[in-house]
Amino acid sequence: MIRNRKILLVFRLVVGAIFIYAGVTKAADPLGFAQNIRNYRVVGQNLSFLTGLILPWLEIFAGLLVVSGVMRRAGALLAFLMLAFFIVLTAVTMARGLDVDCGCFGAVSRKAGLGLILEDVALLYMATAVLLSRVSRAGR
Amino acid sequence: MREAKKILQHVLIVTLLSVAAGVATRLPLFRQFLAGEFRESFIARDRYPGIRFVSLQEAEDVFAAPGASVFIDARPAGVFRDGHIPGAKNVPYAAGATRIPAALASLPRNTGLLIYCEGGECQSSQGLAKLLAGDGFTNIRILAGGWDEWARARLPTERGDD
Repeated sequence: MIRNRKILLVFRLVVGAIFIYAGVTKAADPLGFAQNIRNYRVVGQNLSFLTGLILPWLEIFAGLLVVSGVMRRAGALLAFLMLAFFIVLTAVTMARGLDVDCGCFGAVSRKAGLGLILEDVALLYMATAVLLSRVSRAGR
Repeated sequence: MREAKKILQHVLIVTLLSVAAGVATRLPLFRQFLAGEFRESFIARDRYPGIRFVSLQEAEDVFAAPGASVFIDARPAGVFRDGHIPGAKNVPYAAGATRIPAALASLPRNTGLLIYCEGGECQSSQGLAKLLAGDGFTNIRILAGGWDEWARARLPTERGDD
């Protein structure tokens, strides 16, 4: 468990900022994001639409909580769950040999691949550290 | 344990908030969804009025009226060579492309286009259709069942380059 407040603060800022940015870029184009989700060929048309509408906001709120420290661990848990899901999804997509634009940051085109998994693993580590930190009002 | 329960409660609250925010900020889109739009694609009719999906039957009718419309095969060149709808132009579409293909640049923007890709869940015909609609094309049809449906129905095909 990481107890160093400065390191935890950096983790919170990095995870939070990336989630807020990712959420805002997706919320700007929910249909484009829904198409991205559909391209992964895991869920159908309706669920892709609803996810496209809701997931960006889940990212924004999780990011805001992690950065602000309000309900920090709930935010970190949400970030953890989303990242774990993204990692599994990207790995499955690679294993299936699908050529999919990851849809991570809205219109910024990027393929779902190994580099993406490694970045998500790094974020997952940071989110886990924030989730497990027992420092009250960490880093404030 | 109490701490875990509290965190889960917060997660639930944030999830509900996200649902509310997602729907509230895109109410018109959500209404379109409830009305049955987006079942076939995420191309909003009000944003892309020039694009519509057609059945195999309509594609056959368009095919039978030669000269009126241009068939466009959005699949990669290799599979195009192995078989395609006779007379179709091969315009492979790569996701994220922003420039309209040279083969189509000189066409009048009211030319009837019928675009297809593999079929099933292929996305390249939709991507290409949006790109072309953005460039001013006003009469774009997408064959929903794609090449698979056309070939399965044993309709005319040809091999080679376009």
